[in-house]
Amino acid sequence: MYDFLETNSMYVVLFIVLIIWIGIFAYLKSMDKQIKNLENKE
Amino acid sequence: MNNIFKYSVFVIISLVIITGIVLPIPNIPALGDKARVLYFHVPMSWISVVAFVMSLWYAVRYLKTKEITYDIKSFSAAQLGFLFCVLATATGSLWAKFNWGSFWNWDPRQTSIFILLLIYGAYFALRSAIDAEEQRARLSSVYAIIAGITMPFFIFIMPRLVETLHPDPIINNSGKINMDTTMLIIFLTSLLGFTLLFLWVMNLKVRLELLKYRKSLKQA
Repeated sequence: MYDFLETNSMYVVLFIVLIIWIGIFAYLKSMDKQIKNLENKE
Repeated sequence: MNNIFKYSVFVIISLVIITGIVLPIPNIPALGDKARVLYFHVPMSWISVVAFVMSLWYAVRYLKTKEITYDIKSFSAAQLGFLFCVLATATGSLWAKFNWGSFWNWDPRQTSIFILLLIYGAYFALRSAIDAEEQRARLSSVYAIIAGITMPFFIFIMPRLVETLHPDPIINNSGKINMDTTMLIIFLTSLLGFTLLFLWVMNLKVRLELLKYRKSLKQA
């Protein structure tokens, strides 16, 4: 396991950064939707 | 902002992440693969500059027109600028750990960004200390202008005046960009992607603050 992580460290970093970015994007999209709903309610 | 804009931001930043991490980079003495941090660290710093300039601009607009929306925009820009400044400090600090041996070395670059964070920290303290809306908007606009004027000194001038361990800025002292073409393309795409992301987040933040403001007016 340790050897796998050491030899593929770049791809491990890529995977983690992409997961974080997708999470941030999904959060922003949902926030956008919620703000739009609140604006429409006014 | 339409969906095409949002998905373009997603695609651009995803491409930057993938190409920035996977594509090989030329061997840079003493930096190696750690040089890849520039795809993320420099855009954070760039956005904090853009945000602080926007904060200054809206503060001037508020003092001219006395329209509260400008104060809300100035405050939102300062908050986002502060957030991206913290991210620039964190990414720089992580890089410093692996290149210089410790997270914090009080290098001129680190000291100047720390002072900048303190200056904007004081801006938020000032805002939270005043209850009267008009007085808060007026005083914090004046402070945002003063803070915005000092910002270029801490980001661009001071680190170039004194000896620093920090690698050469992108545009070096002789006014040239010494960077491999592939790296430069990824870097410029990164700047574009993160700037668009900032504009989207800024739009959300201002809309949210305006909602809060209108709600507080209804309750009063």
